[in-house]
Amino acid sequence: MYLYILIGAGALGCAIMAIIAKKLLSSAIWLAGTSALVALLIYLLGAPEVAVIELSVGAGLVTVLFVFAINIAGDEPIKLRAIPPRWLSGILILFAIGLLGYFAVVPLMELGAVDLPVSMDADFRSVLWQERNLDVLLQVLIIFTGVLGMMGLLAEGHKKESHPANEEEKPA
Amino acid sequence: MSMNVPSVFLIVVIGLLGVGLYALLTVRNLIKVVVALQILVKGAMLAFVLVGRLTGQVNLGQSLALTVIVADTIVAVVGLTLAVQVRRKFGSLDIKDLTTLKR
Amino acid sequence: MAATLILLSIGLPWLGALVVWMVGDRHEKIQHALAVAFSLAAGVAAVILLGSAGKETALTIPVGGVFGDFTFVADGLGVFLAVIATVIGSLAVIFSVDYMHGEHQLGRYYAFVLFFIGAMVGLVLTSNLLLMFVFWEITALCSYALIAFHNDDPKAVAGGVKALIITQFGGVGLLLGAVLLVSTTGSYDINALLASPSSIPAGTLAVLAYGFLVAAAAKSAQFPFQTWLPDAMEAPTPISALIHAATMVNAGVYLLARFFPAFKDVPGWTEAVMLVGLVTALMAAIMAVVSNDLKRVLAYSTVSQLGYMVYAVGTGVVFASQFHLLSHSVFKALLFLGAGAVIHSVGTRDMREMGGLGKKMPFTRVVFIIGALALAGLPILNGFWSKELILEAGLKHSPIWMYILMLVGAGITAFYTFRMVWMVFYGKPKAEGHIHDAGKAMKVALAPLALGALTTWLLAGPFSKILGTETLPYHNIHAESTWEILGEVISLPTLVALGVVALGLLAWWQRDKLGGLGKALGWLGKAAAASFGFEAINRGVVKGTQGASNGLSVTQTGLLNWNVLGIVVALVILFAVLALGA
Repeated sequence: MYLYILIGAGALGCAIMAIIAKKLLSSAIWLAGTSALVALLIYLLGAPEVAVIELSVGAGLVTVLFVFAINIAGDEPIKLRAIPPRWLSGILILFAIGLLGYFAVVPLMELGAVDLPVSMDADFRSVLWQERNLDVLLQVLIIFTGVLGMMGLLAEGHKKESHPANEEEKPA
Repeated sequence: MSMNVPSVFLIVVIGLLGVGLYALLTVRNLIKVVVALQILVKGAMLAFVLVGRLTGQVNLGQSLALTVIVADTIVAVVGLTLAVQVRRKFGSLDIKDLTTLKR
Repeated sequence: MAATLILLSIGLPWLGALVVWMVGDRHEKIQHALAVAFSLAAGVAAVILLGSAGKETALTIPVGGVFGDFTFVADGLGVFLAVIATVIGSLAVIFSVDYMHGEHQLGRYYAFVLFFIGAMVGLVLTSNLLLMFVFWEITALCSYALIAFHNDDPKAVAGGVKALIITQFGGVGLLLGAVLLVSTTGSYDINALLASPSSIPAGTLAVLAYGFLVAAAAKSAQFPFQTWLPDAMEAPTPISALIHAATMVNAGVYLLARFFPAFKDVPGWTEAVMLVGLVTALMAAIMAVVSNDLKRVLAYSTVSQLGYMVYAVGTGVVFASQFHLLSHSVFKALLFLGAGAVIHSVGTRDMREMGGLGKKMPFTRVVFIIGALALAGLPILNGFWSKELILEAGLKHSPIWMYILMLVGAGITAFYTFRMVWMVFYGKPKAEGHIHDAGKAMKVALAPLALGALTTWLLAGPFSKILGTETLPYHNIHAESTWEILGEVISLPTLVALGVVALGLLAWWQRDKLGGLGKALGWLGKAAAASFGFEAINRGVVKGTQGASNGLSVTQTGLLNWNVLGIVVALVILFAVLALGA
């Protein structure tokens, strides 16, 4: 129980740090921390397969992408005032979270000291490939979008290199 | 009424959603927006696995979470690509400079 | 087998759309070839599908509980329209090879054409009402994109936007029907509704029936929505042929024919359908008489002929309506593509600047006149048989005054058809410059259509078999042989109808002597030129919609923060409502 509270608090703290960090790079690192702790929580919930994927993709690959993109786009902290006033955003979010907690957490707490029930369903692979086969196939389409996105991300560096080369060729 | 294990997880889920939404409301840096989206989606992913476990179908929750991870990673890729291209074109990452379609 | 063919005839055009678009506009020849290949392949698949038509669900794609299964049925009505969409569509694509030669952005053009054809096939083959709505909207989107293809021309863009907005009324009607159906029966299955229309309350059924009538009228450019189709003439001519003959406007008639068994007992519905058809047929025919734009005359004639088909559905003789649809799609595609060849050569659409083109374009003249005679309803050509079937159905199943007015409409049709042919191909040559006959690909597309206009009436027997009770259990169409059907047509009323058509011809012949009559009817001509005031109403609707959209665009700040704020506020309100409710 206290272990869960500790890890959960850590994940939330990392998320808050990721938002308030001044530099984009440290923001990305804090995000990686959040991701790793969430992966740990998922593992503790009894879902080791997805936990591993989240750890490697969420904490690993995405962080690499962030570092790569920040390198290209530059890491200048912009100090700009938020467009809607901060106090308004804060109140709204508190309201939303409070109501959500009222609806979801309170009934759970009233159950008393229950523990997580033991899972009864089929194993991960058969659920994925038999019950949700169409979704899995459609994921391929999304991944294709990601490939197009990657090409856009890489195209910039490519152009910068080829540009002077073109200029050299022109006079000749 | 007392804290139990499921409610701890649920509080973490709601907290992550709150932090992500608050960031989307206040952040103006495009890359930071992608960070906020990541946090938001991590909350949703944890919720999927939690609900799966609570209803005794943890593997169904897992498989949904996997879909979320895939979609989320692609969102990060496309979002960062957009940020980089916007930076090239407008010379800034401020989302306020992105309202030219409107004007 | 049927499942594969259905997938092929929808999927091939869509795959082709993707491939042609990805090839890129630098490889024009490959784009032309690929578009022709994919559309022809889809046509072949649809024709083979004719052989395995049946009333059972041929293909089921499970997509979970919310939307119902995506089901496709290859029944007679659907397969027949799928064949029209793909075959006439592929002829339009072949024609485009010449007509669009040297145009820019061919990828966009062909991609939308193929997407359009595939969506139309899906629309007629699916038996899931929600999926039908989706395909319905895809056809609306494609027609908008193709009408506004020349997007640097403000008139073309205005025509496209108008088509989109007006046909959306139809979309709303269909969506309303789908939502009502699922909320009362819990399923989207069309055939379940057709099997037992009494299973849903009479009031709901009436709302459904009239909602679908609005949907069909908007899609098929029937009264009072008829003005979008003539404005759609800004599109490249093969697109006009595609919209008028193969795809878009057939959807409305299809909808009425498909749901006729369910709605025929709704009080006043069949009368309303007949009235819509009658008013449209007459009004559009009169407008065609006063128009000087070649393509507009053809557009008004389409609207008018669609009025005949809608009228036939109203009389309950679905077979006559669909048979005329078959004839019409053949001869109208022929007329449009022929007109395209003329316009391509002369460079104008104004008939007053043409004249005497017959000698320079002999091939086009021959095929165009075949199409025109079919439109006028002269014997032996396919338009004659199908129009007579409709008129006979009207004589038997509708009030006599309606029949007489439809006869008058047939006479006017003959009149404006001869006027059009005369102004384009005969009289004094006015056009200057180099005038050439149709190109090779144009001829390849025109020849089979001309042959079809001469011969498709021979298919009446097989056509009644495929629409028969074996594949359409609720429509009550009896399979008959060609000779039986033709025998029914040849009777005394037919002679009367032929007399009226001859009268129309005579009126054009003796037009100088009828000057007094023309002057007396001058007010009618003026009213017709102004579309009887409906143009203004429709324009007002379009302007109002655009104004409302402009006003609402304030809510689209383009700023992420404000948009997310809106989402969070909505979330809080939702929770608050829940909290108060609980």
